[in-house]
Amino acid sequence: MNPTPHTAQATEHLGPDKLSAFIDGELPSVEQLGIERHLTTCHACTLRVLSAVQLKAATARAGHRFAPPPDALARLTARLHSEHAQTKVKPQVETKKNARIYSIHPAIWAALAATIVLTISLLGWRQLHQTNTLAAELLDQHLATLSSGATPQVISTDRHTVKPWFQGRLPFSFNLPDATALPPDTTLKGADLTYLSGQPAALLLFTIHKHEVSVFLTQRATGPALTTLPGNRAGFTLQTATTPDLRIIAVSDVNPADLDLLVASMVHAQSPT
Amino acid sequence: MLNSQCLPIYALSLLPRNLRHTEAFRTMSSVTTRGADFEHLALPLFDSLYNHAFWLTRNQVEAEDLVQETFSKALRAFDTFQSGTNFKAWIFRILRNTFLTTRTGIAASRTVFLEDRPDALDTPAAGPTPEDTLIRLDNQAALHAALEQLQPSLREALLLCDVEEIKYKDIATILDVPIGTVMSRISRARRTLRQLLQPHLGESI
Repeated sequence: MNPTPHTAQATEHLGPDKLSAFIDGELPSVEQLGIERHLTTCHACTLRVLSAVQLKAATARAGHRFAPPPDALARLTARLHSEHAQTKVKPQVETKKNARIYSIHPAIWAALAATIVLTISLLGWRQLHQTNTLAAELLDQHLATLSSGATPQVISTDRHTVKPWFQGRLPFSFNLPDATALPPDTTLKGADLTYLSGQPAALLLFTIHKHEVSVFLTQRATGPALTTLPGNRAGFTLQTATTPDLRIIAVSDVNPADLDLLVASMVHAQSPT
Repeated sequence: MLNSQCLPIYALSLLPRNLRHTEAFRTMSSVTTRGADFEHLALPLFDSLYNHAFWLTRNQVEAEDLVQETFSKALRAFDTFQSGTNFKAWIFRILRNTFLTTRTGIAASRTVFLEDRPDALDTPAAGPTPEDTLIRLDNQAALHAALEQLQPSLREALLLCDVEEIKYKDIATILDVPIGTVMSRISRARRTLRQLLQPHLGESI
């Protein structure tokens, strides 16, 4: 900011940041009024403001430069409708079948009851089967991170970079332990957005003594059930923990005791204190 | 725990009849309304999002993919959008975050710029000078060339401000930087543009 050469002026000349914020209407009203008063007496600043406004208008015109291809909007709406239809399919099917149930002959209720029993048994079997599927899914995702070509979507050792990166990507939030709160020789490498059983999950990548560790965080309310998740699979340890809101699953070939420490520090970081 | 969406069909039939109807109807209508609300808010921004995506990616195919992905993510996350807040800022933030996960975006995010360190600025705060006279800026080509030469992070902030007319606080949210950084990026972008346009002073640019 230049020193004021004219003592009679209400405020000093406009510096570039002030000038910029002034033409964008981003200054507090008191400051805005002070500058307007200054402009009534300072020809040079008035000229600069006028010039800046012209540049802003010209930038707006020049910046509006790339129009989408003519059929791009049609492609987008088609995709949106198909995605939207997928979310609607379930309720529609339910309602249709639901309406049909009322017109079924009473004799069929017996058969339906048998089906219910069978379905319940099948669901029980599926529950067991799901845990194995989930363990396989977790392991597959962990192995994928080990390949040399795999680059995390966000690469940072700083929790203040990794955590904000998930904002807008996940329907839930979580805390990351400070570097000093992590167990010894444990480092945050980065993170990916991933999906577990169709639910969005945060995949945090750590190293413990040069062993790669994948830590999956899912929302407890919607996350996949994992009451009977095996403790290890194909030589990798699967360590799980829950907080009131989150499920935390760590996968690694590191010493299980070290993995426990990392999971404990993740759990501790979620507590409000 | 009576959530008809989660119940299989046989279980649904065990619910009281009036509840079945209302729940099913509510589920359907809320899904339909939600989709309609989303399209009502988002589709008018298609051209703006595409334009911004092109400035980010510098590629027509990538820009279209980026916008499509942005719309998909935004639709899926629409439940988390708080009505009454700035939808444009919300979806531009998704666009930018999605861009940062692309190959081009990852490469761009690894570039470190110095403009956010005030002590690294080389341009002294300029007072009014005779050179700061009015420039005729009706030569789009000169301005396009100048915009192309701007550092991406400066250009991004400037375009959000001047083209999209988004307020500083919302730009700060989109770019995930403090508001002071937004202010200095925009100011520096304009100073740089002016410097780049200096050769055209005195002519009708």
